[in-house]
Amino acid sequence: MSSAMWIAVIICALGTLLMRVVPFLWMQRRLGSAAGMNAMPQWLVILGPMMIAAVLGVSIVPVNPSPVSWLATAIGLSVTLLVWRRLRSLGWPVAAGVGVFGAVEVVAALI
Amino acid sequence: MSQPADHTVHANHSPLRSALQGVREAIPLLGGYIPVALSFGLVATQAGFTTWEAAAISALIYAGASQFLFVGMIAAGAPLWLVVAMTLLINVRHVVYGPNLAALLPRSRHWPWLMHGLTDQVFALALTRLPQLPEVKRFSWFVGASLLAWGVWIIGTAVGATGGEAVTARWPLLGEIMPFALPALFLTMVAPRFTDKRWAAAMLCTILAALGLNLAGWSNVAIPLAAACGALCFYTVTFQPRRSRP
Repeated sequence: MSSAMWIAVIICALGTLLMRVVPFLWMQRRLGSAAGMNAMPQWLVILGPMMIAAVLGVSIVPVNPSPVSWLATAIGLSVTLLVWRRLRSLGWPVAAGVGVFGAVEVVAALI
Repeated sequence: MSQPADHTVHANHSPLRSALQGVREAIPLLGGYIPVALSFGLVATQAGFTTWEAAAISALIYAGASQFLFVGMIAAGAPLWLVVAMTLLINVRHVVYGPNLAALLPRSRHWPWLMHGLTDQVFALALTRLPQLPEVKRFSWFVGASLLAWGVWIIGTAVGATGGEAVTARWPLLGEIMPFALPALFLTMVAPRFTDKRWAAAMLCTILAALGLNLAGWSNVAIPLAAACGALCFYTVTFQPRRSRP
C-alpha cells in the first residue's frame, strides 16, 4: 500500500472516530450543565431505537436470498420471538432462533 | 428482573466481572461479525491488499460497509479523495449514536479512544442493556463488549485474508447460518417497544423501509433513511384513545 493510501486510511479512521466521539462528549457536557436531562432533544431519543429497528430491517435479508432462506428467516424470527416472550432475555432467544434457522437450512440442503 | 440496591452493588463491584459480563452479552454479535470479517479479508486480498494491510484497515476504520466500499473503490481505480469522501459519508450515521449513550455512561478520560468501538451493533446492544445495569458496572461492561467485537473483527479479517476461501469451501453453510444471529438479536431488542401502538407503528415502518431499501440495492443509506422514515411516522401518526361506551 502506497503512503498516499495509508494517509487515506488514516483520514477515514480519524474522521469516523471523530463522528463517534465528538457528539458523545458534546452531549455528556450538555447533560452535565444546568439544563440537565432536558438538554437531550426529543428527536434524538426517538432516533436511537429507530436506528436499532433499521439495523434489524437491513440484517433480515438472508446472505443468499432464496425461497428456502426466506422461509428459514421467517421461522427463525418467529421462534426467536416466542422464546423471547417466554424468557424476556437476549441470549436464549437468539440461540433458539439461530438453531431453528440453521436446522431449516440444513434440512432443505439435504432434501 | 430486580436490581440489587446501589450501595450493595458499589461494595461488591468488580470491574473485571462487569467487563466479562459485557463480553458474554456481546457473543451473539459475533454470529454476524465473523462471516462478514472473513468476507472482508477475502475481498481485500482479492483487491490486492496484503493480510497485514486488510487487518490494519479493519483495526483503524472499523466500520463494515465503509470498509467494503473503501477497498472496492480502490480496486476500481477511483481517486483517493473520492474514496475518503464516500467512506466518511457512509459513516455519518454514527453521529447520532454517541448522544444517545451519553446519559447512560459515566464521564471518563478514556472515551476518546473507547468510542472507536461504537459500531451499529455495539450501539444497539449498549442502548438496550445499559439502562438495565447498575451505573457502576456500565463503563467496564462497555469496555468488555466493545473490545470483544473489535478484536474478533480484526482476527476475522486476518483469517479471511489468509484462508477465507478454504474456510468457506469447507463449511459452505457457515456463512449463511451464523449471520442470522444479528436479526434474531435485534428482534429481541425492538420487541419490548411493541407494547405501545405509536412505537410499534413507527418501528414497523422503519423495519420495512430498511428491508425495502436494502433489497433495492440501497444498503449503504438504508439505516439512516429508514430511521428517519420511522421518526417521521412517530411524529405524524397518532392513535386516539379508545372511547368507553356510555
